[in-house]
Amino acid sequence: MTRRDVSRATAIATILAIALVLGACSGGSSGSTAPAPSAPTGGAVVVAQDLKFDRQTIAVPANQAAPLLFENRDSAPHNVTVMAADGTKVFTGETFGGPGSRTYQLPSLTAGSYKFQCDVHPDMKGTLTAG
Amino acid sequence: MDTFRPRTRSTTDPRFAILHAGIVGLTLTTAVIHASLGGLLFTLNAIGYATFATGLLLPGRFTAWRWLMRLGLAGFTLATIAGWLLFGARFGLAYVDKGVEVVLLLALALDVGLEDGGPAGVIAHIRDTWQMARRYASRRPR
Repeated sequence: MTRRDVSRATAIATILAIALVLGACSGGSSGSTAPAPSAPTGGAVVVAQDLKFDRQTIAVPANQAAPLLFENRDSAPHNVTVMAADGTKVFTGETFGGPGSRTYQLPSLTAGSYKFQCDVHPDMKGTLTAG
Repeated sequence: MDTFRPRTRSTTDPRFAILHAGIVGLTLTTAVIHASLGGLLFTLNAIGYATFATGLLLPGRFTAWRWLMRLGLAGFTLATIAGWLLFGARFGLAYVDKGVEVVLLLALALDVGLEDGGPAGVIAHIRDTWQMARRYASRRPR
């Protein structure tokens, strides 16, 4: 084995070590067990942790703008997007990495059922009811 | 016994070393970005990039197959960009990552041009590999 091969082997070992570290900590959660914060007046709250939303349903009043407090407890970036039943996006919240929170201002929604999801991780989803 | 002789050019030129280090660095950068996003798909994507980076550094007889690693990495990167264009979320880090991937593709194209002699060289690699496989198959006892 030449010196060049040794240096390549070292580089490979380094990459594998990096990969292992990446696998161990990718998108990790803050590990917080704190309860969800209180919803703002006339609005709703949702928390993202461990690549999941803490609730499947949220409710806001119909026909008026409403605040949505979104807390991201993962290091991975998340957001909240609200879609009508036909899939049309009616609101897209800012995507940001955690831990952190934003208060989105949802537009006035007609009464009915909507879907909400994270754009980065579409498996994170739920139902928003305006009523 | 015939030995498969790669058409890959000499890599003693330091400019090649810089280019190769850049390719590995860009590949690891996008691997780290994807790993930071969490979720199965992004993690698999990160592992894919890390695997290609490792493949590009394998020593000895594996260097003969580096052209295939370059080709595979280019295809993987193109597929990742296409997947993002079709389904991906639009946010700051995603745009940064796509920038890294576009630069990676350009670096790979340059490397294919310099190391393999461009598309004609890649076709020659494929032809050589096919012929080698046929020779190998014809020698196997029936």
